[in-house]
Amino acid sequence: MSSEEQKLLINVIEQFAKSELESVSLKIEKEGLPRPLVRRLAELGLLAATVPPSEGGSGIDVRSFSLILYTIAKYSPSVAYYIYVQNTLVNEVLHQTGRSDLIPTVASGEITGTMVHDINMNSQHNVKVEGTKLQGENEYVVLPSATYHIVLARSSERSLLVLAKPSRVERKKPLGLRALEFGVSFYDSEVARENVLIQEKAEEALARHLDSSSIQVGAIALGIAESAIDKAIEYSKQRRAFESYLYEFQPIAAVLSDMKSRIGHMKDALTASEGGEGTVMFKLHALEIARLASRIALQVHGGYGYLEDVGIERLYRDSMFLTLLTSNYLRDMKAASTNLISKDAFRI
Amino acid sequence: MSFELPEEVEQTRKKAREFALREFTDDLIRHYDETEEYPNEIRKKVFEAGFITLENPWNMLVTMEEFCRVDPGLGLSSLASVFGAEMVLLYGTDEQKEKYMYPTLRGEKISAVAVTEPGAGSDVAGISSRLDKTERGWILNGHKMFITNGTVADHYYLLARSSLPPKDKRHHGLTLVIVERRWKGVNPVKLKGKLGMRATDTAEITFENVEIPVENTLGEEGKGFYIVMTFFNISRVYVAAQSVGTAQGILDALMDYLSRKPQSFREMESVQFALAEMSTMVEAARNLTYKAASKVFAFNPDPVLTSMAKYYAADVANFVANEAFKIIGVEGLNTRVEKLYRDAKITEIWEGTNEIEKLVISRMLLRRLSEAK
Ligand SMILES: Cc1cc2nc3c(=O)[nH]c(=O)nc-3n(C[C@H](O)[C@H](O)[C@H](O)COP(=O)(O)OP(=O)(O)OC[C@H]3O[C@@H](n4cnc5c(N)ncnc54)[C@H](O)[C@@H]3O)c2cc1C
Repeated sequence: MSSEEQKLLINVIEQFAKSELESVSLKIEKEGLPRPLVRRLAELGLLAATVPPSEGGSGIDVRSFSLILYTIAKYSPSVAYYIYVQNTLVNEVLHQTGRSDLIPTVASGEITGTMVHDINMNSQHNVKVEGTKLQGENEYVVLPSATYHIVLARSSERSLLVLAKPSRVERKKPLGLRALEFGVSFYDSEVARENVLIQEKAEEALARHLDSSSIQVGAIALGIAESAIDKAIEYSKQRRAFESYLYEFQPIAAVLSDMKSRIGHMKDALTASEGGEGTVMFKLHALEIARLASRIALQVHGGYGYLEDVGIERLYRDSMFLTLLTSNYLRDMKAASTNLISKDAFRI
Repeated sequence: MSFELPEEVEQTRKKAREFALREFTDDLIRHYDETEEYPNEIRKKVFEAGFITLENPWNMLVTMEEFCRVDPGLGLSSLASVFGAEMVLLYGTDEQKEKYMYPTLRGEKISAVAVTEPGAGSDVAGISSRLDKTERGWILNGHKMFITNGTVADHYYLLARSSLPPKDKRHHGLTLVIVERRWKGVNPVKLKGKLGMRATDTAEITFENVEIPVENTLGEEGKGFYIVMTFFNISRVYVAAQSVGTAQGILDALMDYLSRKPQSFREMESVQFALAEMSTMVEAARNLTYKAASKVFAFNPDPVLTSMAKYYAADVANFVANEAFKIIGVEGLNTRVEKLYRDAKITEIWEGTNEIEKLVISRMLLRRLSEAK
C-alpha cells in the first residue's frame, strides 16, 4: 500500500471511529459489543484485514493494520482488541493452517472466534488431548462464548492446535476491556481430524505467531496511551485550581508534554515498523507507556478520574488488562534479550 | 532507641489481622465490590470488637493497616465511620462532643467530612459554598462533591465561606459547621461506578437554604481552613497506613503466588530483584508512616513528615500493584491483586493529592530555611 493509500485508509478509519465509536465507547463497556457494530467492523473489512483477498480477507499490509488498531484504540480499546482477536488470532491462523474455508463467516462478523492458549502465563494450563479427546479448561479467555475456539492443547509428547467448541463457559467481570466478554471455558469433546490445525510443535508455532504480531498489541497500547494523555491535556485546559489552569502548573505541563512527545516518538516507530519478530520490545514499551499514561491521566483528573462515567479510569484498567492478556514479562524479556544480546542472555 | 511498637499495639495488630482474615471473606469482599453497598453490618462488628477508639490512636493506625492489608474497601468503610471526630475533639464544645462525637465513637452514628466541591478540591480555599448569618445561626447554600459516607452519615463536618476574604488571604473567612443529613434542604446523591474502594459510600450533596443553629459552628468563625488543615495532618497518617496496608496485601499475594511456584521460578533474578525492591519500599513507607504518626500522636505534628508519609506510601502502593501484576501476570486476576490494584489508586488522590503533598513538603522546608536565616 502506498503511503497515500495508507493515509486515505487511516482517514476513513478515523472518521468511522469518531462518528460511530466515540459516542458509544463508554456505553459498550457496560453493555457489550452490539451486533450492528460488529457488522460495521466487518463491512470495513477489519475482521480479516491482513488475510489475502483470495481467501476472503482485505489484503491490508501489517503496517497499515497496526495503524488501524492504534486509531481505533484511541476511541475504544475494547473494539481494537476485538479486531485483533478476529483478524490476527483467528483468521490469520485459520489461513496459515489451511482452514481458509472458515474465514468468510468470521470475516463477515456472522460468527465470532477466539484463541485459547497459555503462552503468556507463568504456568501451563490444563487443556489436554489424549488420542482424540480434548479435555480441560482455561480460566482467562476473552470471548469465551465465541463459536470457534482455537485451542492450544497438550498431550504427553506434543502440543497441538485444534478447533473446538467449549462444553461450558463461566463468565467473570474482567479488569478491563469490559465491552468484551471474559471468563473460563471448559472442554470435553472429540476432536475431528479436520479440526486439528497444527499436529505438533503447535506451542512453538503459536509463540512465533504471537511474537510476530507484538507490534499490533503495541499499537493498541499506544492508542490507549495517546487517548489518556489527550484527555488529560484537554482537561488541564478546562480545570482550574488556585486561580490557574492546571496546565499552567510546571509539574503538570511537564509530565503531559513529556508523555505526549514520548508517545509521538513511538508512533513514528510504529509507522516505520514492518512488524514481525523482534518487535516484542516495542510491545513492552508501549504497554508500559499505556499504564503510565493512564495513571498520569487519572491523576490529572483528580477525583473525577476515579469515576467510570468520566471515561479515564477505564484506560487505567484497560492498559493493565491488555498487559496481562498479551505479555508475560519474563518470557518477553527473554525473547527480547536473546534476540538483542545472545542466546544465553536472561538465563539466570 | 527502639523501632518496636508497644506490646499493647502489637496485640491490637494481631487482633485486627485475625478479625480481617475471619470477617472480610472473599464472598463479602466481592459482594460489596460488585453492589457498591455500604457495609453497615461489618461496621457494626468492627465496633463490637472494640477497634474504634481515639484513646490510643496507635491502635486505630495499625488496625487501619491490617484491615486494608486484607481489604481496603471494607477496612476503610468501617473505620472511617468516625471520620472527622478529631476536629470535634480538638475544637468542639462539650455539647457538640455529646451530641455528635461520642455517638460516633459508640457506633450509634456515622460522620463525614465535607470539604471538596465540584469546582475545588486541592484548592480548599477556592470553595464557594456559602454561609449567610441569621439571627439564630447560618443559612447554608452550596454543593459538595465526593463526600465519603455522604448518604449514610448522620452528620457532616462541613466547610463553607462565611465572609469575603481580604485580598491575597483566600483562606480567611471560611467556617466549619456541623450539618445533619436529615435537615431540610440537604440532598445527598450516591456516586456509583468508582474504579475501586467500592465498599465506601461516596456522594454528591447539595445544600439549599439549610438552617444551621449557631451552636453548630465548629471552632472559631472564619478559622475553618486552619482547623481542616490541622485535621488533614492527622488524617493523612491514617491514609498513609491505608497505603502501607494495601501495599503489604499485594506483597502477601505475591508471596503466596511465589510459594506455589517451582523453585526454579523463585530463583530467577528478575523475580528476586522485583521482590527485593517492593519489600524494601513497603518497609520504608511503613517506617516513615510510623515516624510521622509518632509526632502527630504526641501532639507535635510535623507536616513535612506527614506529607512525606502520605505521598510516599501512596506512591509505593501503586508501584507495588503494578510490579506485582507484572510478575504474576494474568493469574493475578484470580488473586487479591486485581482488587488491590483498583483500590490503591485512591491513595494518591484523597486527603491531598501526591502533588499537593509535595508542595506542602517543599514549602515548609523552604519556609524553615528562610526562618533560619
Ligand atoms: C472516592 C473519593 C472519596 C473522597 N472523599 C472525600 C471526603 O470524604 N471529603 C472531601 O471533602 N473530599 C473527598 N474527596 C475529594 C478529594 O479529596 C479530592 O478529589 C482531591 O482533594 C483532589 O481534588 P479534585 O478532585 O478537585 O482535583 P483538582 O484539585 O482539580 O486537581 C486535579 C489535578 O491537579 C493537580 N494540582 C492541583 N493543584 C496543583 C498545583 N498547584 N500544582 C501541581 N498540581 C496541582 C492535582 O494534584 C490533581 O492531580 C474524595 C474523592 C474521592 C475520589
